[in-house]
Amino acid sequence: MKRYFRELSVVGALLAVLLGLAWFAPAFFSPQPLLSLVTREAPTLVVACGMACVIITRQIDISVGSIFSVCSVCAGLLVARGWPLELVLPASVGLGALFGALNGFLVAVLRLPSIVVTLATMVTLRQGLNLIRQGEFVNLPDRVQWFGLSQTAGQLVLVGAALGLLVALAWAMRHIAAGRYLYAVGTDAEAARLAGIRPQLVTLLVFVFIGALTGLGAMMNLAQSPQVQPLTGNGLELKVIAAVVVGGVAISGGRGNLWGAFAGLLLLACVSPALTHLHVEAYWEKAVQGAIILLAVVADGLRSRQNNR
Amino acid sequence: MKNPLLRFCAAGAVLLASLITASAADSKLIVAMLPKSKGNAYFISCKAGADKAAKELGVQLLFDGPTDSNAAKQNEIVENWITLGVDVITVAAENKEGISTALRKAQKQGIKVLTYDADAMADSRSFFVNQATPQGIGQTLMDEAARLVGEEGEFAMIVGSLTAANQREWQKYVEARLKEKFPKMKLVAVRPCDDLKDKAQSESTALLSANPKLKLIMAICSPGVPGAAEAVKQAGLTGKVKVMGLGLPNENKRYVHAGVTDSVILWNTGDLGYLTIYAGVALAKDELKKGAKSFKAGSLGTFAIEGDNILLGKPFIFNQGNIDQFDF
Repeated sequence: MKRYFRELSVVGALLAVLLGLAWFAPAFFSPQPLLSLVTREAPTLVVACGMACVIITRQIDISVGSIFSVCSVCAGLLVARGWPLELVLPASVGLGALFGALNGFLVAVLRLPSIVVTLATMVTLRQGLNLIRQGEFVNLPDRVQWFGLSQTAGQLVLVGAALGLLVALAWAMRHIAAGRYLYAVGTDAEAARLAGIRPQLVTLLVFVFIGALTGLGAMMNLAQSPQVQPLTGNGLELKVIAAVVVGGVAISGGRGNLWGAFAGLLLLACVSPALTHLHVEAYWEKAVQGAIILLAVVADGLRSRQNNR
Repeated sequence: MKNPLLRFCAAGAVLLASLITASAADSKLIVAMLPKSKGNAYFISCKAGADKAAKELGVQLLFDGPTDSNAAKQNEIVENWITLGVDVITVAAENKEGISTALRKAQKQGIKVLTYDADAMADSRSFFVNQATPQGIGQTLMDEAARLVGEEGEFAMIVGSLTAANQREWQKYVEARLKEKFPKMKLVAVRPCDDLKDKAQSESTALLSANPKLKLIMAICSPGVPGAAEAVKQAGLTGKVKVMGLGLPNENKRYVHAGVTDSVILWNTGDLGYLTIYAGVALAKDELKKGAKSFKAGSLGTFAIEGDNILLGKPFIFNQGNIDQFDF
């Protein structure tokens, strides 16, 4: 219990917000709008899982928003050309993994700091996309939205897929050697090396992994709407990093888990619709989200000081 | 150019071009039109109107621009036109300050300069063909919203951001018009979408469930309109909650045809091109002078001039009946 105090406190905060909403704005829980809102967060959850892995390994990837956009637009163009979804899905995942591999190569093999490397890929990809697309939407054929299923079925598939991935990854991080390697490398790369782990390989693979998940997230987003805006995913990196940090994953690596990141994501995603339902001015949205992040960081800071004593 | 053959060909091309222009200059005015980017559907639709005007007036239209919105390339093209000795240059400026030096140089050579769509520095051109004033946009948005809901009921707004200057100005004029003319309508919420269609959709979904009496969503940033429409469609409220706002026809066509979005407001880009060419030719023929109060442009009729701005007038409303005629 004490070991997971940090994660449980986020869950507690989330429950408090939901209880408050149930009391003051019960309309928040009407099933259809709620399902639509939750479905919109499914792609974010997938990318956040990847980000948690990267941060646990003591790295960071701020290029996910740009990779997300590029994968979305490329997948959209392929679909519009008549490619079947069964082919576009692996193409998008593969493209994301490729960009991830580029990041990973620069960080793991050339030993460059990940924040600078991914800043460079973030800017390059974003500007390249702007140059080529000039903001023009990609219109998709009708068969794409909800994979041709009914809206509710499609939404349930997407939410189910994201949750399934979360459960599988959370389990793997705890019980499979590869998952434990991430913690080992993030805690102390040199110690990990002495224990027979290859930190460079782990780092490379974790970037490939988040790239692939970003490509997957892009597809899950693509299936929700009949068109792709090239700006899609702008700011996604901040959203997922915030979710992961609020969820108790230490930015200094080696600590945290996906369930915390999940709770953090839900807590931050709640803010905007909650304010709408409480009829609070939109100016407060970013302020409240900022306060939550600050609180989380301060809590982590106090905790690590206690541990060092 | 190291290759002598290439150099020879280039020289020949220049000679040929000057011969053609020299012979054309005897009979026809040459009007050059510079878009921000020549592949962009928005400017291609401007060109359609410009072509029509050029044909009616019997002038030669040169339409050229960067393939990407590239300010330096715009300068290069203007320099070429100066060398070529065109009569009129019309420009949609990518970089206000950047292009102005080249335009001043053109004016010194006796070339008439107009801007359209995006202005350059005031001293580098004679007139700016202004496609829409903030007041015109605000009033048209509010009037159209009121018309759609019978001047009664609650509505909400999606804005690009709470701080962007143009968004705040349009919002101000919408609210002023609301206060002045539609007492039975109520603006219940203003939500930002950070210029993201996806966020506009989430915000609209929350707005719909938080405000069950909502009758209309007005989006004043272009990604906001399809975002709001998708939310209304997913909530199964098509027809019950109206969607309208500022946007581009191509981004909204499918929702307009599905009856989710009622009106998309922008200006008529074809008219913008048409008016620009008419004004340019009138300038070259000395029929349009500084201080004029109005200007007549062919079949489109008379346009007001405020200072050195020729006003295209009221924004244009795209709806089910006409949206397919526009491709941008």
